[in-house]
Amino acid sequence: MSASIEIAGVSKVYDGGIRAVDAVAMDIRQGEFFSLLGPSGCGKTTTLRMIAGFETPSAGAIRVDGADITHVPAHKRDMGMVFQNYALFPHRTVAENVAFGLRMRGLDKASIAANVKAALAMVELSGLEDRRPAQLSGGQQQRVALARAIVIAPRVLLCDEPLGALDKKLRQQMQFELKQLQKKLGLTLVFVTHDQEEALAMSDRIAVMNGGRVEQVGTPSEIYNQPTTRFVADFIGDTNIFRGERIGPNLSVGKDLILALPPAETQGTGILSVALRPEKIRLSPRIDVAIAAGSSAHGTVENTNFLGGAVLYRITLDSGHRVLVQQPNAGTGRLFVPGDAVTLEWTPADLVVLKD
Amino acid sequence: MQTAASNSAALAASRQAASARAAAAAWPYGRTLYLVLNIAILVFLLAPIAIVAVFALNPTPFIQFPPVGVSLRWFEKFFASRDFMHALGFSLEVAVLTTVSATMLGACAALALARGNLPGTRLIVATMLSPLMLPAILTGLALFQTYVLLDVGRPTWGLVGGHTLVTLPYVVRTTLAVLHNFDTRLEEAARNLGASPLRTFFEVTLPLIKPGVIAGAIFAFIVSFDQFPVSLFLVSPGNETLPVTLFNYLKFDLDGTIGAASVVSIVLAFVVVIGLDRTVGLRSYVKL
Repeated sequence: MSASIEIAGVSKVYDGGIRAVDAVAMDIRQGEFFSLLGPSGCGKTTTLRMIAGFETPSAGAIRVDGADITHVPAHKRDMGMVFQNYALFPHRTVAENVAFGLRMRGLDKASIAANVKAALAMVELSGLEDRRPAQLSGGQQQRVALARAIVIAPRVLLCDEPLGALDKKLRQQMQFELKQLQKKLGLTLVFVTHDQEEALAMSDRIAVMNGGRVEQVGTPSEIYNQPTTRFVADFIGDTNIFRGERIGPNLSVGKDLILALPPAETQGTGILSVALRPEKIRLSPRIDVAIAAGSSAHGTVENTNFLGGAVLYRITLDSGHRVLVQQPNAGTGRLFVPGDAVTLEWTPADLVVLKD
Repeated sequence: MQTAASNSAALAASRQAASARAAAAAWPYGRTLYLVLNIAILVFLLAPIAIVAVFALNPTPFIQFPPVGVSLRWFEKFFASRDFMHALGFSLEVAVLTTVSATMLGACAALALARGNLPGTRLIVATMLSPLMLPAILTGLALFQTYVLLDVGRPTWGLVGGHTLVTLPYVVRTTLAVLHNFDTRLEEAARNLGASPLRTFFEVTLPLIKPGVIAGAIFAFIVSFDQFPVSLFLVSPGNETLPVTLFNYLKFDLDGTIGAASVVSIVLAFVVVIGLDRTVGLRSYVKL
């Protein structure tokens, strides 16, 4: 039922030469929860709109299950879509909204009614059939939009920041429900979001986009642990990025900071950027003995940010560099306070070399 | 849910009452002044109509105050007059034809202007609205000269055309206003769910712009039905609209028939507005 999508070298150039999407290529597998993640204006929504058929690519092709649909009109694509502000028909009831797609497909009244009932039950909205969208809460409208999109048993479900308008608690709940529904129905789902936490939490794979291009495609853990570009490392979570010159197995960052490169890293010469996640650094009270150059440094706590389950420290190294360090609030050991002298240690293998 | 709603309604009401009390405590005459002012405005707006009604019911053949009695003789005379009845029928016919043509043209034009990505949209809108800004007598004269030049005589379609010209801006304006606030994602949602462009228009676009289109249609009907300056130039003798007939009648007689005709016009306009409201259901759509 669900389909795979192949986006082959798709570009979208608007009047005036603005390249909203630039040679994007990706394969979305059948039954996969695939997110397009990036800041606003990165081309993720335009890409989604081209899949839906609301925009025509300037170049490239979009294939669904191998069949070229680049120029198939939107209403013949058999895709469900959940819009950012839901786009429920205000002049129709909940039941009529959900029935719309079935009616367009010419189903008879009895099976429309049965399908609508089942879809509303699936999103737990039974009993609200006769309400108008304006009489529903944001979360309920979201569910109606979802029911309307899945009731047509779409080949692909497209979601354009569907949870963006909900408050945090409700959003988290809807994240779980949407993910569960997607798995249960085996839906191929393309999900557009600018919220990296949401993308990491829900996706099977993520395409991180920036400036109309795809920076990296990978599973959430690949994207987080092995970002390939500086943009991805910077955009996903907190990170420390060091830029310096490669000298043998080390990276010389400024005058007084040497970082040992990962043992496996043999590629790359000259100027390199590396990323090191704050939680990969260990923090201890300063010990005035010789420390291992390349995998440790001395510094002073500048300020702290208590996150509850963890503490984020901003530390100024003796070399003058500023580093973020995150420590679990494990209950053992004391928390550091601004002004404390500390020693930082890390494992060179945790450094990730980035493409600029 | 229900109780929560009624609770909050009750709360709002009591809050309103409290603030009204507070205002009354601050200056006891505020509310009275507000009422008096509103009544004064209503009187100012409605007094001429009331005078016409009094004039129509007063049995004496001239305007007299206070009225000396109540009689329907002027209404009888109006309804018995073949000229007036013909004019009334003709006016209604022209108004209905004008409403249909102005509504169709105006709504389509507004759609094209709002969606078509046409070059010079602002200029076209300004041109379409220009009959509103020109004195109607100029429009009438210009049309008259045009018809003379074209040597088409003074056919009914010519009159309907003239009326359409002056009523079109109302439909364009009201339809553009609803289109301006229209969320085009609703149309995309319909397309996405399998509705062809045509189906999308009838299922989603039209129902949602209907309030604007109908408001425009009501304006078109009333403006056409009341139209005098344009009609004056374009009617043919023996085929005159009610305002023109009234004007001609006024030149020689001034009796209560004029008042009766005016009252009938007012009532007819009311009937049309209320009828449209009831049948097409303006109210249920106005608040989107």
